[in-house]
Amino acid sequence: MGVTCVAQVPVAEGKSVQQTVELLTRKLELLGAEKQGTFCVDCETYHTAASTISSQGQTGKLMYVMHNSEYPLSCFGLFENGPCLIADANFDILMVKLKGFFQNAKANKIESRGTRYQYCDFLVKVGTVTMGPSARGISVEVEYCPCVVANDCWNLLMEFMQSFMGNHTPGIPSVFGTKHDSTYSPGDTMVQYMELFNKIRKQQQVPVAGIR
Amino acid sequence: MEAPPVTMMPITGGTINMMEYLLQGSILDQSLESLLHRLRGLCDNMEPETFLDHEMVFLLKGQQASPFVLRARRAMDKSGMPWHLRYLGQPEIGDKNRHALVRNCVDIATSDNLTDFLVEMGFRVDHEFMAKGHVFRKGIMKIMVYKIFRILMPGNTESTEPLSLSYLVELNVVAPAGQDIVSDDMRNFAEQLKPLVHLEKIDPKRLM
Repeated sequence: MGVTCVAQVPVAEGKSVQQTVELLTRKLELLGAEKQGTFCVDCETYHTAASTISSQGQTGKLMYVMHNSEYPLSCFGLFENGPCLIADANFDILMVKLKGFFQNAKANKIESRGTRYQYCDFLVKVGTVTMGPSARGISVEVEYCPCVVANDCWNLLMEFMQSFMGNHTPGIPSVFGTKHDSTYSPGDTMVQYMELFNKIRKQQQVPVAGIR
Repeated sequence: MEAPPVTMMPITGGTINMMEYLLQGSILDQSLESLLHRLRGLCDNMEPETFLDHEMVFLLKGQQASPFVLRARRAMDKSGMPWHLRYLGQPEIGDKNRHALVRNCVDIATSDNLTDFLVEMGFRVDHEFMAKGHVFRKGIMKIMVYKIFRILMPGNTESTEPLSLSYLVELNVVAPAGQDIVSDDMRNFAEQLKPLVHLEKIDPKRLM
């Protein structure tokens, strides 16, 4: 996969989540981007069961299991500041077998769903981030497909993002810092989504009046 | 009628309960060539395939009496292959007529940071070994003839010594649950390998 930047776009003043998403997608369509289906990235949280903690003497840890519609046969396992495992879809079945040791915090399941746009060599995904029934924010994923070395194309990515995100263009993602010249991988995109989802979870819920 | 190859089975609801059917036996080193010769004749025509794998067995201890066991295996002789993570359940207590050992199995291909990830989850290495040998196929059956090597220093896969003067012979099939006809086909195949090797259903519990 090409170098990807995942960012959060704040909801526009006086507008709902849906309206802000429409503003962004309209800007993309005016630029000439073509709709190319939909996407979904989801994240489930597991915590170490109390029984394992007491016998191992370790503190409870949070493990995230994520899926990305761009890689339908894969499953990603992540720990915050820890390794990101890329596995095939059977990893979900293994988590069911590990029920006694890792509990699924079902209420914490968070996902981003939206439309996929292609603009020349860029792939842009604008998604509504939802937790349960409520929309909590907006995610924008921009991928520059031809390049696999993060630091080589950051400037280009930033310039492209400014053309439709304006002031909401993010700074360089923290995963890029550790990459140096190594190849960008889908695991890096999932780490960015995990950080975004964690940030959104901590944020105040969008006031009900804004969700229409 | 043989069960269709596993890859043609429909995936229902995203989960398939796969079972591993297993028969095991062993032969002394000096009988290896004659067994390989017979297998070459009986099995599917393909380039002779050898393998050298490094397997680590991880345990996760909880309050439950028995720890959770996961097996992480990687190919040492082929580059670019994913790591293979395997969960094996308890053997099914079926009727005595069932010819093979049947247990639930989950096979997962993963990226190379598997061991770091398992340790982060709380798993610890219980033991590791190398397996070197030959693999054959007949339809959905996989036949392996391999030698187990003890790793003398943890983490050093270069210095190993054979565990015994014999080769382990395994006949296994991974198929969806409820395909008992598979064990009949396995028994029939095992008959053809007698008297070179006697493949039997060996319950791991009875060895402990």
